[in-house]
Amino acid sequence: MAYDKSALSLAVSARGVDKSFGRIKVLDDLTVDIPRGVTYCLLGPNGSGKTTFIRAIVGMLKLDGGDLRVLDQPVSEVQSIYSRIGYMTQHKALYPDLTLQENLEFFAGLYSIEKQEREPRITKLLDMVNLLEHRHRLAGDLSGGMYQRLSLACTLIHEPELLLLDEPTVGVDPRLRQTFWNYFDRLTAEGKTVLITTHLMDEAEKCKTVGYMRAGRMTAVGSPDEIKRLAGLKPHLELWLKEPEKDAARLKDAGYEIDEVDIAKGVVRIRLQSHDQIKGLLENVAPLDMRLKEPTLEEAFLRLSEAA
Amino acid sequence: MTGMNLKVNVDLRRIGVVALRVIRQLKRDRRTIGLITFAPIVLMILFGYALSGDMSGVTLGLVDGGGHDVLKAHLGGIKDFNILYLGSESDAEKLVSQGRLNGAVVLEPDEVRVLLDATSIQISNTILAAAQSGAREEMAKLLENLPGQQSQGSKSGDMSGDMNLIVTRYLFGYDLEMMDTVGPAILGLVVFFFTFINASISFIRERSQGTLEKFMVSPLSRVEMVSGYVLGFSLFTLLQSTTTLLVVTYGFGVPMRGNPLTALVVVLLLGAGALVLGSFFSNFARSEFQVVQFIPLIITPQIVLCGVWWPLQSVPEFIRPISYILPLTYAGDALRAVMLKGAGVTDILYPDLFALGVFFLVFFLAATLMLRREVG
Ligand SMILES: Nc1ncnc2c1ncn2[C@@H]1O[C@H](COP(=O)(O)OP(=O)(O)O)[C@@H](O)[C@H]1O
Ligand SMILES: [Mg+2]
Repeated sequence: MAYDKSALSLAVSARGVDKSFGRIKVLDDLTVDIPRGVTYCLLGPNGSGKTTFIRAIVGMLKLDGGDLRVLDQPVSEVQSIYSRIGYMTQHKALYPDLTLQENLEFFAGLYSIEKQEREPRITKLLDMVNLLEHRHRLAGDLSGGMYQRLSLACTLIHEPELLLLDEPTVGVDPRLRQTFWNYFDRLTAEGKTVLITTHLMDEAEKCKTVGYMRAGRMTAVGSPDEIKRLAGLKPHLELWLKEPEKDAARLKDAGYEIDEVDIAKGVVRIRLQSHDQIKGLLENVAPLDMRLKEPTLEEAFLRLSEAA
Repeated sequence: MTGMNLKVNVDLRRIGVVALRVIRQLKRDRRTIGLITFAPIVLMILFGYALSGDMSGVTLGLVDGGGHDVLKAHLGGIKDFNILYLGSESDAEKLVSQGRLNGAVVLEPDEVRVLLDATSIQISNTILAAAQSGAREEMAKLLENLPGQQSQGSKSGDMSGDMNLIVTRYLFGYDLEMMDTVGPAILGLVVFFFTFINASISFIRERSQGTLEKFMVSPLSRVEMVSGYVLGFSLFTLLQSTTTLLVVTYGFGVPMRGNPLTALVVVLLLGAGALVLGSFFSNFARSEFQVVQFIPLIITPQIVLCGVWWPLQSVPEFIRPISYILPLTYAGDALRAVMLKGAGVTDILYPDLFALGVFFLVFFLAATLMLRREVG
């Protein structure tokens, strides 16, 4: 199959990839482009084929059909670029009977990182995942979230160009999650690519690009905002008003779309076409309080999968 | 795609990285340390004492080829004699040579052969005398039952014929105790057992932890990975076999007539074979629990068929080929030669070291190929 020139700047490019396990089709004509230098989120419910796709990218699966290229190499040659790929399995692959330091040393050794280079990197990464003080504890004694963080550190030790992280933030607390995302932003700023899978919507909101996977297919791709727009979701505005009925009628006359009037609470819900409408609205009514409710990605995907 | 395509680049440093990790893990495993020190002691006591039987009396082998009921009864009636029934004369020969029997009587319808150990004359004479008096008794019974023919043959002539019935053969035994012959085999057994089980479990864990998949997606080749394991475990084999050798020689008085380093060469090769065998078989187990179920399949046949506790000649012929493909058969043979007879490396090169080497190479290849890159 011929590739167009633009494909050369892609970190991963899949064209019509098929994979079945027995009679179950796990990847079904999957086509997706993952550009370099971004954090790309592969979002999808459990069993949608995210892990299978990641394993296909690293050459751990025999594909039934389609074309898959990784860092401009056909996947059949992916072995030759393993030193440029960081792969964090969904199973957090570590040695519980080694200390954190020993685990990191081991993975550094696999990538032939010199000793003088190794120590500062280990310190830096342990600091990033907030495990520096546990350096000499056995990995098996760590809690689930800590184990997860160590696994991420082990995956980053050789500073890979393409990071494939399979559900990396399960069990990691929100504050530390933010640290991870900041770190990923730094990596992408250096031109590295981060591919993350998740089944959590709020996780996906943080990514520049989200690909929504369902039953082995990509059903929607774009930034979280784009996907919401694609799903036709609009923001809502809730207004607390002294005279909800009268104000609602006035707003309706002014061309606003009234969703709901709650007389008891004194709340009027308006569906906005765009955020620009808010300014004009204030010329018509003087609310006691107001709250803007953005549509969630979850609603968007729900809408999209209903439509599909 | 590249299913059976081995990455054959070999980087010694990466092998070292894997070996170091394996050593760190083994070092931290308390069971391992316990196994290294206590297993040889327990096994020596178990096999050495228990199998040696009651050595206080005269142990006589009997190969019953038919007839001579009176002679049999006579020998059986002697209080000091422990009679051990054997299948063939060659078994008897072997056991007498090894000093495990003081002698043996082979009964055949028209001949009785007595095998004796030339190194212990007193016991030999006792056995011979017992056989002769038994034969005389038998002849007397025979004459009693045939009263009509009593006049025909002269009595003295029959007596001399009776004496001629007995053919005496002297063999030269090692004059060794059971403990001595068992000692070298225990060394082999302990190393084999420990390495096989530990290696299988380690590889099962690599698989279930997901670290195997991480290896696969790294510059480490499969050859490097298995080699790293061999190297790491070899250091432990050295430690373990040294401990076992000390226990066996100093603790139980088994001789070490050859060079201990030669024995270590044998043990290292055996351990490497056990490791790759364990790695290979780990592919057929899904959990550590299932590894334990391999023991009857992999370990027990080696114990039964390696020719230490009873000679290979006494193993039925249709099973015997199995003995000749089991590494412990060769390791046991080589270790006995080194420790008991003082053999050097060149003496055990063929078939023992050769066979162990072939076993290792075959399963190294098999283990490496089984570490598949792709699943499904
Ligand atoms: N090696 C395998 N053999 C058989 N079925 C598999 C295998 N790997 C995954 N599957 C099946 O493929 C489907 C997708 O799995 P997976 O890719 O793990 O989904 P996700 O990571 O999105 O949760 C599931 O139904 C799973 O049972
Ligand atoms: Mg998954």
